[in-house]
Amino acid sequence: MKMTLCKCLLIMICPFLWSGCATAPHVVEGPGKLTTMEIDTQDFAAKADEMIQSMLDSPIFEKAAHKPAILVVGRIVNNTGRNFDMDLLIKKIRVALNKGGKAITDITGGALNNPDFTLSGKIIENRSREGNTHQSAYTFQLSLSNSQGLAVWEDEKEITKQGTRASVGF
Amino acid sequence: MKEYVMAVVAAVSLAQYGCSTVNTVEPSQQAAQRQILADKRITTDGRLYGRVRPIGVNTAVVPAGMLKIQIEVRNLTRSLQPFAYHIEWFDANGIIVNTPTSAWVDREIQGGETLSITGIAPTGDAKDFRIKFISR
Repeated sequence: MKMTLCKCLLIMICPFLWSGCATAPHVVEGPGKLTTMEIDTQDFAAKADEMIQSMLDSPIFEKAAHKPAILVVGRIVNNTGRNFDMDLLIKKIRVALNKGGKAITDITGGALNNPDFTLSGKIIENRSREGNTHQSAYTFQLSLSNSQGLAVWEDEKEITKQGTRASVGF
Repeated sequence: MKEYVMAVVAAVSLAQYGCSTVNTVEPSQQAAQRQILADKRITTDGRLYGRVRPIGVNTAVVPAGMLKIQIEVRNLTRSLQPFAYHIEWFDANGIIVNTPTSAWVDREIQGGETLSITGIAPTGDAKDFRIKFISR
């Protein structure tokens, strides 16, 4: 009798335990996003923010002929082993500068307007390993050059990620 | 016995690795004059506050006319502490200013280290700010 009761209780508890282990799809906002060895969306946002801060901290937009300054996006090179859309970085910068009223982007590439600045850059990946620890360092390089081809603003930001063999999945 | 000794040696070396702290040198009479703001703190994670503590906030205005803030954070422990922070900006009416670059930023702070976190408002309309911290 006692054994049967135990079995019944176990059968009743099991589905709750199973459902407790599964995670239903849900929207993640804030600090709960996954961090991987690749460049994540939050990394793009953080680096774009640092780059914008660096631009705003310099007087380049105040010295531009147009107010707001006219910007064209030049060559942005992905020199990493990962394939991602550069707009994850560049669009964030464009939107932030546009909303801040400091620069607008000429989407014709400068064909219709005389742009003040051309934005160009590169993302570089450097992988290394020591024992079971893997490291991926991503370097974000951006430049703003004027109509004479002079780099009037440049900056470089880095993000380094480390994980052990088990956690990075290779 | 041999295994016990090896375990103790391993534990001691791990403890030493985890407890490297930062020594700091700076001028006793600082040339920079900082305007430290009076701040209001709401602490819900006492464990984090006991480890990584904001010690001061000062502000400036950048050439583009935006508000710039700097928060000094100190690690009160002797070990590396990971944490994340997020800066929110508000306009003159107290309405939040949303930007596509708004994100939680992961940082690490060494034992005993003081680090500075800076942020520049995304627009000239942003007049106020709030900084959130969470442990990692």
